[in-house]
Amino acid sequence: MKTLDNSNPIAAAVYFICAAGVAMFSRDPIIIALSLAGAVTLCILQKGGGHLFFAALFVLGTAVNPLFNHRGSRVLFVLNNNPVTAEALLYGALSSAMVVAAIYWFKCFSTIMTSDKLLYIFGSAMPKLSLIISMALRYVPLFTRQAKTVSAAQKTMGIYKEENIIDSIKAKIRVFSVMVTWTLENGIITADSMEARGYSAGRRSFFAIYKFTSKDVFLLAASLLLAGAALLLTSVGDSAAVFEFFPTAAMLPPESWGVKIWAAYISYGILAMLPSALELEEVVRWKYLQSKI
Amino acid sequence: MEILAVKNLNFAYPCCVGKAVEDVSFSVKKGEFIALCGATGSGKSTLLRLLKRELQPLGELSGEVLLGGKNVNRLSVRDSAGKIGFVMQRPEQQIVTDKVWHELAFGLENLGTPKNEMRRRIAEISEYFGISGWFEKGVDELSGGQKQLLNLAAVMVMQPELLILDEPTAQLDPIAASDFIATLQKLNRELGLTIIIAEHRLEDVIPICDRMMVMDKGRLRLCLPPREAAQRLNEYPELLKSMPASVRIYNALDKRDEECPLTIREGSDFICRNFGNSVKCLADAPKAERGEAALEFENVWFRYGRNLPDVLKGTNFTACAGEIFCLLGGNGSGKSTLLKNASGIARAYSGSIKVFGKKIEKYKENSLYKECLAFLPQDVQAVFLKNTVREELAEVGGEERIPAELFAQLQQKNIFDSHPYDLSGGEQQLVAFAKVLAAKPRILLLDEPTKGLDARTKQELSSMLKKLKNNGVAVVVVTHDVEFAAETADRCAMFFRGEIISADSPEEFFACNNFYSTAANRMTRGHYEKAVTVEQAVELCRANGERSGR
Repeated sequence: MKTLDNSNPIAAAVYFICAAGVAMFSRDPIIIALSLAGAVTLCILQKGGGHLFFAALFVLGTAVNPLFNHRGSRVLFVLNNNPVTAEALLYGALSSAMVVAAIYWFKCFSTIMTSDKLLYIFGSAMPKLSLIISMALRYVPLFTRQAKTVSAAQKTMGIYKEENIIDSIKAKIRVFSVMVTWTLENGIITADSMEARGYSAGRRSFFAIYKFTSKDVFLLAASLLLAGAALLLTSVGDSAAVFEFFPTAAMLPPESWGVKIWAAYISYGILAMLPSALELEEVVRWKYLQSKI
Repeated sequence: MEILAVKNLNFAYPCCVGKAVEDVSFSVKKGEFIALCGATGSGKSTLLRLLKRELQPLGELSGEVLLGGKNVNRLSVRDSAGKIGFVMQRPEQQIVTDKVWHELAFGLENLGTPKNEMRRRIAEISEYFGISGWFEKGVDELSGGQKQLLNLAAVMVMQPELLILDEPTAQLDPIAASDFIATLQKLNRELGLTIIIAEHRLEDVIPICDRMMVMDKGRLRLCLPPREAAQRLNEYPELLKSMPASVRIYNALDKRDEECPLTIREGSDFICRNFGNSVKCLADAPKAERGEAALEFENVWFRYGRNLPDVLKGTNFTACAGEIFCLLGGNGSGKSTLLKNASGIARAYSGSIKVFGKKIEKYKENSLYKECLAFLPQDVQAVFLKNTVREELAEVGGEERIPAELFAQLQQKNIFDSHPYDLSGGEQQLVAFAKVLAAKPRILLLDEPTKGLDARTKQELSSMLKKLKNNGVAVVVVTHDVEFAAETADRCAMFFRGEIISADSPEEFFACNNFYSTAANRMTRGHYEKAVTVEQAVELCRANGERSGR
C-alpha cells in the first residue's frame, strides 16, 4: 500500500473530497470529531505546523457563537442583559470544530497536491488546457525576472529622478509597456520552437509521470465506498435523532444508537484515519526491515 | 549515403534588395558533422531555416532542399517535424512548458506517440543526457547550460535524422558551451547523427567537424575539411579572427608547407617543431601610472536573504580611474552579484563600498547615476524601452551626449529606424553601450559584455573600452571570456568563493595560471614565457625565427 503522497493524484484528490466532504455537510458531533482527529493526525505526520493558530481559532469560534445565539435552556450567566447558554456554547464548539477540520484537510491537500499533480488531473480531462496552464506557469517567473532586470537597468542609466511618486509611477509604466513588447518578441521564438517540434501535427497525446496502479484503484474504491456508506447510513439510521442541541442539549444513550449508526461511524472513522494509518504502517515496516538487516 | 541535398537554393526577403541566400548547393552524407561559419549577416541563419519547413521565412524561394531524396516541402507534417531537429540560439525562449519532464514529452505529445513508448523514450533520453537528476525540476531553476541541454534533449527525443543548430552556445558561458559541443560530438560519434551547426565560437567546433562551410554575403564560398579550409582563411580576415588560436597563429606565420594545426596540442607541437626559443619573452610593456581610486571594496559581505548563504565574503579590491579591471571566475561564483553591489542595486550588509572616496550610501536620489557610475547588464535588451533606435538615443539626450565616434559608427550601420529587438546581438550591444555612455559615466560596470558577440564586434568593443580608459574612465568588466580579458584588461583578477584571489596584469595573471588561461598561453607554455595573446605568440615566433636544419 502506498501513502497518499505517492498515490495517483486523481485517487488522492477523490480521497480528500470524500473525507472532507462528508464532514462538511454533516452536523453529527461524532463524524466531525473523527474528521478533526483524522486531519490533525495526518497534518502532524506531514510535519505541518500552525497548530496553535488553529487551536486559537477553535476557541474563538466557540466563544463567539453564544454572544449572538441565545437559544437553549441552560443559562450559564447573563451578559449585557443577554443570556449565555450551554447549548449555544456546545453548538459553537461543534461548528468551529467543523471549520477547523476543513482547514486542516485543505492544508494536507495543498501539501500533497503540488501544481504538477493538479495539472495532471486537469490534463487527463483537457490536454489543451493543461498545456496552456503549464505554459503560463512557465511564463510567470520569466516575466517577473525580466521586469526586475529591466527596471534595475533603467535605474542605473540615470534617467529617473525618483524623488517623487509620479516619476516612479511613470517609470513603472514604461517598464510595463516594454515588457509587453518583450513578451510578444519572445513569444515568436517560443512559437517557432513549438512549431519545429510538430505542434500542428494533429492529435496530441498526453504524457504524465503518474501511473494508475491497483493500489490506487483500491484507494479510490475505499474512499468512495466508505464515504457513501457513511452518508447513507447516517441518513437511514436517523443520526439527527441521536444528538439534539436546541432547546435542550441531549444525547441518546450509546446502547440505543442502532447498528446503522454504529456502522456509519466506523466506516467514516476508517476513512478519516486511512492516510495516517498508511503513513504509520510505512514507518513501522521500514523500521522492521531495517532491524532485519 | 546522402541524407541532405541542397540544389541551387536562392532566397530573398520581401522588400529587401539583394538575396539573403544566393545559389547555394551542397550535399551532406549521413553521419557528417558540418560547421557553418560566416560573419553576422552572411545568411547562415536564413540558410539553416530554409532547411526546415516549419521555420522557413517568408520570401522568394527557388531551388530545392531534399531530405533523403524527398523535397522537404513535400514531407508529411509528422516527418518534417520529427526527422529534422532544430535548436536555436536563446535557451530560455525555446522552452515551452514549466517542468523538465513535460518539456521532454512535448514533441512526442505533439506527434501523438502512445503513452508506453513515450515513457520509454523519455527515460532513455534523460539517462543519455544526464537529466535524471533534475527530471522533476521546474525549468526556471535550471542554469543556462542546463536549459540548452534540455532543448537539445527535447529535440533528440523525437529521434531526428538530421540535427540543425543555429548558434546554440552564443548565450552560454565558455564551460557550458564546451560541454554542449562535447555532447554534440558524442551524439555524432555514438549515434552517427548528422549535424549541421552554425557558430561564432569556433574553438571547440573546428577540431571535431568533418567539413567546414564558409558563407559570405549569401554565397557559399568554401566547403572543405577543416584543415584544408583553415589554410585558405587569409582570404577571410573577419572569419579568421573567430578561429581557434592555433589556426590564427598558423595563418599569421604563413607556413604553407606544414599542415594546419587545429587543437592546442597540435599547435604547441607546430610551434616547438618550427620555431626556436632563444628569445623567451617579450619586453614588458611599461606599467602605466594608476589614477585615483574610483571604486573601492573594503571587506564587503553580502547575501540575498537572511537565511541564505553569503555570496560576497569579505571582498576587497580597488579599481582606478583610467584602467580596465577584468574579473574572471566560474559560474555562480558571485561575480554578477559583486557588480550589483557596486552599482547600488543590491546593498551589502557589512563592509564599505566607496565611489570616488565617498560611501555609496551617501549618494542620494540617484546622484550616483548622474555622470558618475553606469552599469550595463548582461542582457542588453533590458536597456531598451522604445520602438526605434532613434527614440532610444533621443531619450538619453541624442547626438550631443553620445561620443561622436560611436554615433558615427551607429549611423554607418543604418539602423536608426529599426526596432532595437530586431538588431543583431552585436548591434544591440552597441546601441545599449551608446545609451549607457550618454550618462557620461566616470565608472563603467559591464556584466559579460562579450556574450553572443562575433569576433569583429568583440574587437570593436575592446577598442572602445580602451578609448574610454584613456579618457580617464574606470572600467570594471565581469567576464568568462579569458581571450577578451587578455587582450583588453590592464589588470585581471580571479573571483572565487566570494573573494578576490589574485589581481595582476594579464601577462602575469595568465602566465601563472595553468588551467584558467588563454589558448595561446597554454600552447606556448614551457616554450615561451608570458605569451598570452595570439599576437604576442606570433611576435615571439617571428623574433626567434624558423628553426633551420629540418
